[in-house]
Amino acid sequence: MSLELLAIIMFAVFLVIILSGYPVAFSFAGTAIVFFLLGVIFGDLTFGRLNVLFSQWFANSVSNLTFLAIPFFVFMGAVFEKSGLAEKLLTTIGLLMGPLRGGMAVAVVFVGTLLAAATGVVAATVIVMGLLALPVMVKYNYDPKLASGVIVASGTLAQLIPPSLVLIVLAQFLPLSVGELFAGALIPGVMLAVIFAIYSVVIAYVKPEHAPAIPKAERTMTRGQLAKETVKVVVPPLFLVFAVLGSIFGGFTTASEAGVVGAVGAVILSIAYRTFSWKTIMDAARSTADITGLVLQILFCSTFFALVFNQLNGQDLITDWLLAIPGDKWGFIIAANIIVFLLGINLEFLEISFIVMPLFVPAALALGITGPLMVWFAVMMAINLNMAFISPPVGFSLFYLQSVAPPEVKTSDIHRGALPFMALQGLGLVLVMVFPQSVTWLVDQFFGDEAPIEGLIRAVI
Amino acid sequence: MIPTIVVGFFNVILRYTGSFVGQRLTSPAILELQYYLYSMIFLLGFAYILKHQINVRVDFWYAHQPISRRAWIDFIGHWVALIPFCIIGMWVSFPQAMQSIRVGEQSPDGGLPRGPIKALLAISFLLLLLQAISEQIRLYAVLTNRSHLVELEAVQHVKVE
Repeated sequence: MSLELLAIIMFAVFLVIILSGYPVAFSFAGTAIVFFLLGVIFGDLTFGRLNVLFSQWFANSVSNLTFLAIPFFVFMGAVFEKSGLAEKLLTTIGLLMGPLRGGMAVAVVFVGTLLAAATGVVAATVIVMGLLALPVMVKYNYDPKLASGVIVASGTLAQLIPPSLVLIVLAQFLPLSVGELFAGALIPGVMLAVIFAIYSVVIAYVKPEHAPAIPKAERTMTRGQLAKETVKVVVPPLFLVFAVLGSIFGGFTTASEAGVVGAVGAVILSIAYRTFSWKTIMDAARSTADITGLVLQILFCSTFFALVFNQLNGQDLITDWLLAIPGDKWGFIIAANIIVFLLGINLEFLEISFIVMPLFVPAALALGITGPLMVWFAVMMAINLNMAFISPPVGFSLFYLQSVAPPEVKTSDIHRGALPFMALQGLGLVLVMVFPQSVTWLVDQFFGDEAPIEGLIRAVI
Repeated sequence: MIPTIVVGFFNVILRYTGSFVGQRLTSPAILELQYYLYSMIFLLGFAYILKHQINVRVDFWYAHQPISRRAWIDFIGHWVALIPFCIIGMWVSFPQAMQSIRVGEQSPDGGLPRGPIKALLAISFLLLLLQAISEQIRLYAVLTNRSHLVELEAVQHVKVE
């Protein structure tokens, strides 16, 4: 039996195992073990080849600059969520914009964007907005589909607007730094937010009954108080966001160091708002440890999988296939997007990043997609993964909203409400595809000419 | 049961220290300490998250299956995948960790000794194996209708955002 055939069977078996619901991490490991043994029996693999695993694990985890950023940004987001900072923000902005037609929807987009820039995690944003904004919107006769759609879509921006967990994970598989990816994703992320806001306003004018104004009677503060309150809640997080992103783009610090600044900053903010408690910090640290362990466990197992897959020449085979797609660079880019979109309907971003990104990268490099263009490619993948977050029936964001939605909002509303926003994300994806400058311009501004060289060096190492 | 609670508490402390250590990026040793603390979070966390059923599953089919079928999937999977994985992990890690300790390997930039963290990597597989065995006992009890004997932790929805 040829090794290539084994590699194909290996991939197919792996897909069957993860579809059975067995944990993804151990599915990687199990498939790797079984097919390694088959490779020993039918091919020329030897047990000695496994020894390199240890150094790979060590290099990918203990001495890995990229993933060091994960715990810091997750911690920062968890503090924002658990300390009630996000709630204050939403309540105030809601009061400010609610009395306009469609204003509550725009307020959700605005707060979603701001929280997205402050955290890298979706759950916090979606849950807070689902708990606070959704009941208000439903009470004042917003269309439940529009209300839930705008909440999941805006909350999910957290995965595109830097700092984001998706971008950090993607950076691990690409010859790019986290900073470059962050710079590249900023404009497309804000662009999506603007598209969502415009859509909400258009709906409010075309179908006023779907997004009515909220009576001013709800307002419990005077105009002056409200203005003061707005400044008080918006400025400090905004400051933190600029401090964190500014320090990365300015080249002063690496992403993980900026993450540390953000994490400590979030704690200081929570002290300033008098919502600080040790319990909050402990909870935040717990969920941070959970997520870090989860991501790294998948990394350990997928490293093993990739090792065996490569020994069976699977990587070369896939690269050949991808390079055989007609249409050169564009054929590959479009095919990659379609593949990720289709996978995104049933899989989540972690699975997709760990399974397909390592397969795409060699083909992309062979087609001359390097430096800022690689950032562009990665940002398209990130927008595509964003669609996966809100694609029914298994998008993460939908689950989060379901868990906190009031009884008037049916699950089917949430699912149907997500569809127009998926279409808007698709529109954003096409815009980014047609205008690579939307990504590369900012990357060039911050990382200049040396970016491709640095990328190459990293690719070689 | 493995003292996973202790590990969890450890994580909390470590996270803290990690973020404060990050503030002083002056010497390679302190920088590396940050890496080591960060590594301890997940190396010790592997067994911990297994105990608490925190994992990523593709569950659009799995979630609708009866408990016994889910238990079968995990039970068989752990025998075929998880336990051999732990054994292979230990098999490749322990000799190399021992070697590192024996020669007193230092990190190249004059930081901390490499031995302890490599040993921890090896030990993380041992902890994971112990927790996997405890999972198997729990699943066996479920499969033989003795689930009243074990503490059943609900399968949580995936927690990554």
